[in-house]
Order: sequence, then structure tokens, then C-alpha cells
Amino acid sequence: MKNNRRNVWMILPIYIFTIVFVAGPLFYMLALSFAGQKEGYGVSWSFTLENYAKILDPVYLDTFVQSLKLAFVSTLCIMLVGYPFGYFMARLSEKWKKRAMLFLMLPFWLNSLIRLYGWVIFFQKKGILNTILIKLGIIEKPLSILYSYPAIVVGMIYVLLPFMVLSVYSSAEKLDWSLMEAARDLGASSVCAFVQIAFPLTLPGLLSGVILTFIPSMGLFFIADILGGNKIVLVGSLIEEQMTRAGNWPFAAALAVVLLVLTSVMILLYRRIFHVETLEGIG
Amino acid sequence: MKGIKGVVSKFYVGICLVFFYLPILVTMIFSFNSSKSLTHFSGFSMRWYGELMENTEIMKAVYVSVTVAILATLISTVLGTLTAIGLSRSKKVLKDAILNMNNIPILNPEIVTAIGLMILFTSLGIRKGYFTMLMAHIVFCTPYVITSVYPKVRNLDPNLANAAMDLGATPFQALTKVIIPMIKEGIFAGALLAFTMSFDDFVISYFVSGNGVKNISIIVYNMTKRINPTINALSTIVIVVIVGVMVFVNFLPKIQKKLLKVSKALKRAVAAGCVVILAFLLVCCGNLSMGGTRILKVYNAGEYIDLALVEQFEKEYQCTVIYETFESNEMMYTKLSSGETYDILIPSDYMIERLIKEEYLQPLDWDLIPNKKNLLPDVMNRSYDTGNRYSAPYFWGTVGILYDTAKVDEKDLEDGWELLCNPKYAGDIYMYDSERDSFMVALKALGYSMNTTDQKEIEAAYQWLIEQRETMDPIYAGDDVIDNMISGNKAMAVIYSGDACYIMSENPDMNYFTPSEGTNIWYDAMVLTRDCSNVELAHEFINFMLDEKSALANTQEVGYSSTVDSAFETMKNEDYKGVDAYVPDVENENNEIFGYQKPEIKQRYSELWTKVKAQ
Repeated sequence: MKNNRRNVWMILPIYIFTIVFVAGPLFYMLALSFAGQKEGYGVSWSFTLENYAKILDPVYLDTFVQSLKLAFVSTLCIMLVGYPFGYFMARLSEKWKKRAMLFLMLPFWLNSLIRLYGWVIFFQKKGILNTILIKLGIIEKPLSILYSYPAIVVGMIYVLLPFMVLSVYSSAEKLDWSLMEAARDLGASSVCAFVQIAFPLTLPGLLSGVILTFIPSMGLFFIADILGGNKIVLVGSLIEEQMTRAGNWPFAAALAVVLLVLTSVMILLYRRIFHVETLEGIG
Repeated sequence: MKGIKGVVSKFYVGICLVFFYLPILVTMIFSFNSSKSLTHFSGFSMRWYGELMENTEIMKAVYVSVTVAILATLISTVLGTLTAIGLSRSKKVLKDAILNMNNIPILNPEIVTAIGLMILFTSLGIRKGYFTMLMAHIVFCTPYVITSVYPKVRNLDPNLANAAMDLGATPFQALTKVIIPMIKEGIFAGALLAFTMSFDDFVISYFVSGNGVKNISIIVYNMTKRINPTINALSTIVIVVIVGVMVFVNFLPKIQKKLLKVSKALKRAVAAGCVVILAFLLVCCGNLSMGGTRILKVYNAGEYIDLALVEQFEKEYQCTVIYETFESNEMMYTKLSSGETYDILIPSDYMIERLIKEEYLQPLDWDLIPNKKNLLPDVMNRSYDTGNRYSAPYFWGTVGILYDTAKVDEKDLEDGWELLCNPKYAGDIYMYDSERDSFMVALKALGYSMNTTDQKEIEAAYQWLIEQRETMDPIYAGDDVIDNMISGNKAMAVIYSGDACYIMSENPDMNYFTPSEGTNIWYDAMVLTRDCSNVELAHEFINFMLDEKSALANTQEVGYSSTVDSAFETMKNEDYKGVDAYVPDVENENNEIFGYQKPEIKQRYSELWTKVKAQ
């Protein structure tokens, strides 16, 4: 009895907190997405599906397609780069593991916008990359890398790669390497042993890495802005534009709701298919 | 065999790490550059560190970032830990509900959380600023703490606490002496994660902050549009501090061992020290928001003032100026209409017309502005505010084409705006990322008025822009155009005359012209809001900015054409001699001022513009 009452005091703050700051905004946003826009600015509280109908306009629908495409391309690249990274890192000796981890985490504490700014300098037309490439004789004329699609993808990889590495690493770390040795002893080639044993066992880490990189990449509008020069319009940029410049909050809310549903469905599917409760790497 | 593999994996990990450190290294190197260039290293200097220290805006942002991160980490760690312990004893349904709900901020794009919170704060009427930023950070940090602490709590034997209490411990003792030490690792991991997330956050902070409160991310975001090597200096300092902390933490266990005997006293001392520092920080943050007694809130376009003038004004008139910037008139309007209050705004002509119509402004009392006599006759009494009842002109100019004389054939200039469709220069132009300016270009190219309401003409302009996009592949840029044109990245750009002046003074290859078909001649002016809290001080500010000396300093710093006669003449004949972009063309009869647009027309333009961009 006494125990229970004390427990209530412990979780009461989180109840209030969750209702006010997590559930509250979500429900308010949902309500707002069905409201109309007053002339110029403001919200008129009458039920309408107009905002959702507007999303079906090819122009806005295209921003979703673009965002998904970019998220897909980025995630694929991150997977290709990050999986070996996490896997190899787990195979290093304890001392090197610690060092690699430290070096991986260190840039995390430096603001990601500052780091992206470094890329802006690096990619300048007369910047370091072009100078090096020309000196090496690989290209003759400087490339316009800044404000192009590849620049955005590099930015995405750069900001999100650690999430992939950490989740692959945390599942590769738990891997019982003696299984691999046993497979080798029984005559499997190293490739075969990897495909048959190591890969399936680290798959959960890879997949949670995919979720952890795919989802944020849909909303990181500032990367497309800083490195892409606003060349492609992503859902994130569209929401930002509607919130800060166009002043159409109901439409922005509808866009956010669709984004929320989209990502929630993805996570749900992931959980259903792989029967997992939590994601690796953030737990 | 194994040896080779080891080498390969080490090599691969190494290469990846190089990728991680490359941009950081670049910023570090260029922080010591003696010139402003980001492409050419001209010599070692500590100049940018000096400028960083003097830049109060950045230093304030560092303060905000650090204190918000510390406070958010502390609060969310306590909240998250209590929750994790509490939840482990709750019913499954409740537990799942809370865990899933709190996972939403982690498992969704940040922008969803961001606008949810922004809408919440706005509708509750909470002033956006330090407090809202802190609350938002607690919201997204807490789930991280819960997810790292909860698994540790679940593995605990539930009888431990009971056993402790049977042995005479109070519930509080049971918590602090038994449970918390056993889940210490999880708490540390959670706190570290929370700190990292908070310190690094941009998206959420961007939406929920306001009233001049910015963190490092927001400052850097605003600055990436223009070259500013002080960012590099800041980056280097942050890195050095982090490495320092890392080294310290690594050596901490060794030091701790030595101090084990006095550890209890030490712990208390450290704890007390933390509390003192925290209290100090809180007091400081109180001071920051309070400051002097008289407060003036000014809302101006970005990079559009000599900030030294603001400081001078603060000193001379013993007041605090909260200076905020916007990227576009539309952004300013949205903020204003969402309930933010300002004293002075500096928008453009058409926006002033709209604000007057919608009664956002109050008339000026020109008797309080003796420096009115300094103003150029050319900038007074324009169509957007006849008789200047509401507005005191601040800067003026035109929109035109900036071109690289080395790349563009002078003969092609005869095409006027159609130059922007000349396939010779495909892939080599910048358009301005603004619906008004782009449609102005298209309408003028087609020979229409830029204030047209004729649907057919608007449709034709839209087609012009679509075609231009297809054949020319232009970049729709913002202020980043300035640096890119200085470094000669493209052959031409649609640009504001003031920016053209600045670019031409930095890169002599560049030239500016306004097509004979006419262009937008514009005026930006200072206006007083309806809710202005200190009318007297606001007039003093306007008068101060129109003073001959301050106007000269302002136009020299910003590069836009001054509205003050003597400053305009000085610049025309001395600083910008021969730079014709500085002198707006008042002769061409085809030039127009933007007028008020009816909402349905505005809506139409904005939809078409989104379509052009998203093509």
C-alpha cells in the first residue's frame, strides 16, 4: 500500500509531463491539420479536409517522393559505409575499440551545423577539394559540387553515419566469434561464414540502424538548405516554409501529421516483421 | 591471414574517421587564416579569435547553448530516472503507454516535435525565448534518459529496496544508497546522450526560440549564408575544450584513487561547487533577459545594420536593444501576426503598405525626428506611404543583374532580362529564392507590369520561369549568392543593388546593370508597431539612425544606398566611386514599386512559385 503511494509520486511528474508536452502538442497538431486558414494569417476552426487534399497536389506530393528518395539514397550509402565500419570496429582489440569509439563520438559534441559548414568550405568552387583534384590531374575544370545532389547526400551521410555505426557495432559486439571459428574449422570459407553466420546475427543492428537514419533524414531540412542551396524541396523545407514564411499553419500541421504517420507505419512494420521491442544502439 | 584482415579493418575504420575529421580540420585550418577567404590561405593570424571574442551575439549564443544543455540534462536525467524506476513497478498497460508516448520524439523526424511544440507555446501565449527552448530540450532529452536507464532498472531485483527498508533505511535512503548506485551506469549514459542531443540540436531550437534568444546552431545556420571565419574560430575552440574534457575524464580515475580518502568531502565540495555554478548561471541568465530598464525591440532583415551602431545607441541612450533579424518580409509578417511583439520594424515598401492596411502600425511623430531634414527628397513620399505618415526611409535600391565581365559578352546585355534565358549561360546563373523577385523578372521580361492582377499575364510569367528552369538550370539562392559571386562561382545573378555594390568592391570583375524594360525600385523603411512599448525611445532610435554620421557608418558597413543625403553623396563620390549600382536609377519610367497584393493574388503567386521550385 505504502509502496504504491510512493510509486505514484515517482511517476506523477512524467504523467503530467507526457500529457502536456508530448501528447498535447500532437493532438493539437492533429486538430489544427483539419482547420482552415484565415485570410492572410490565422486559423479558422471549422472542420475541413482541404489541407490533406492539398497534399495530393502533384507538386506537394512530389516533395514527399523527393524526400523519400533522398532518404533512401542516403540510407543506402550510410548502410554501405557504416555496416563494415561497425562490424570491423567490433573486431578490434579492446584498446582500439575504445579509441575508435572515442574518435567516433568526439565530433558528435561539436555542433553539427559547424561541421556542415566545414563541408561548405571544402566544396567551394575554388576550394580545397577542387584544388587537390586539379593538382592530381583528375579533372581539368573545377567541379560545382556545392549545391548539388551529391553534396546533400554527403551531408546526410556525415550527420547520420554514427547512428548506423553504433547500432551495427552494438549487435556485432554481442556476436559470439567462436561460432565463426567453428564454421571455419568445419570448412566454410570466410565469405561463407560471414554470410551464413555473422551477417544474420548482426542483421537486427543493421536494420535498427536503417530506421535510425532513414527517419531523421526525412526532416533534416537544413542540410538540403546549406549544402543543396534549396535546389530540391523536401518535406522538411516545405513545413518550414509554411510555418515561417507562408504562415499557413494548418497545412504545415497536415504535412507533419502525414510525416508522423508515414514514419510510425515504418517502425510498426519493422517491429512486426522482426519481433523486436527496442531498437539497438539507443538503448 | 588474420594479420591482413586486421590491417584491412583498421585501415577501413581509419579512412572513415578521416571522413569524420576532414571538415573539422578544414575549419580549424581556416580559423587561422589572415584573410576572409575560404579558399586561399594567405597567412597565419589570430584575427578571427579576436573578432569572436568581440562578437557579443556569438558569445551569448554559446552561453545559451551551454546553459540550456546543462539544465536540460540535469532536469531530464532526474525526471527520466524517476520515471524509469517508477515505471518498472507499474502495470504493463500504463508502462507501455508512457514508454511509447515518450518514444515519439525519438522515433520521428525532429521537425514534427518542433512544430508541435511551437504551436503549443504560441497558442498558450508563452513568450518564446530561453524558457521555451529549455522546456523543448527537456521534452526531447527525457526519452533518451528513460531508454538508457529503464533496461538497467528492469534487471534489478525488486526485493532489494524492500530489504534495505527492512534493515531500517528510509525510502529516500533506499533510493539513493541502494537503487541509484546500481543503475549508475545507465544514468550516466543517459545524461551524456541528453547533453549531446541538446548541445547539437538545431531543428527544434530553431522553431521554439525567439525574442533574440539563439543557440550556436541557429547562429551558425544564419551565418552559413555568408562567409564568416569567426565560425571557424568557434569550431576550433569547441574542439579544444572537448578534447580537454576528454583528457581530464580519462585521467580522472587515477586522480580519484589518490583522493579516495578525502573522497566524501570532495564529493560534497564538488556537489556544492556545481550548485554554486548553476545558481550563478541562472542569475546571469536572469540578468541577460532583464538588462537595462529601457528596452527596445528592433526587427530587421539579416546583415542589414552596422551592429556597432546598436551598441553605441545602447550606451548613449542607456537602454537595451533586443535586435532580431528575419530572412524575408513574409517571415517577419508571420512572426508579427503570430503574436510576437516588436517596437520597430524595418520592412520593405509593399509590406509596409500591407501593415498599414491591416493596422499593425502607428503614425510617426516627425517632430521627434529632427534628422528628417537629412533625408533625400528622392526617397520621400512614395506610393506605399504617401506623406510618410508611418515610415522613415532606411535604405533603398533596385534589383538587377550582376555579371562577370570576364564571362559575359557585353553585347548580350542588350537582351535585358532575357539574358537570363540565353542558353550560352545555361547552368551558370543564380536566381533569387523569392517569389516576388522572380515573378518581377519574368513579368518585366515579358513587358508586363510587375503589379499585374491579370491571370493570363501571371500564367505567362509562370511559364517563363518554368521554361527558364528547364533550359537554364538556375540555382535559387539566398544571401549565399554574395559569397559565391565574390569567388566567381557563376557568370551572373539576379541581385539587389546593395549586395551588388559590396560584391563589386570585393571582386572588380563584376558589373551590375538594370535592364531597360524596367525593374523593381524599392525602399526599406523604419516603422513603429501599434504595440510599441516605448514610443519615445523608438523615435530616438529612428532619429539616431538618420543622423549623418550613423547613416554613413551604416551604409559603409552594409553597402546599400543610404537615404540620408550627405552619406549618399559621400559614398557616391568616394567609397563607391564608379560603382553605379550604388545610385538607384530614378529616371527609367518602366521602374515600379511593389504594391499591396490582394490575398487571392498573393496565394496564387505563392502556389505557382512553389511549383516552379519543386519542378
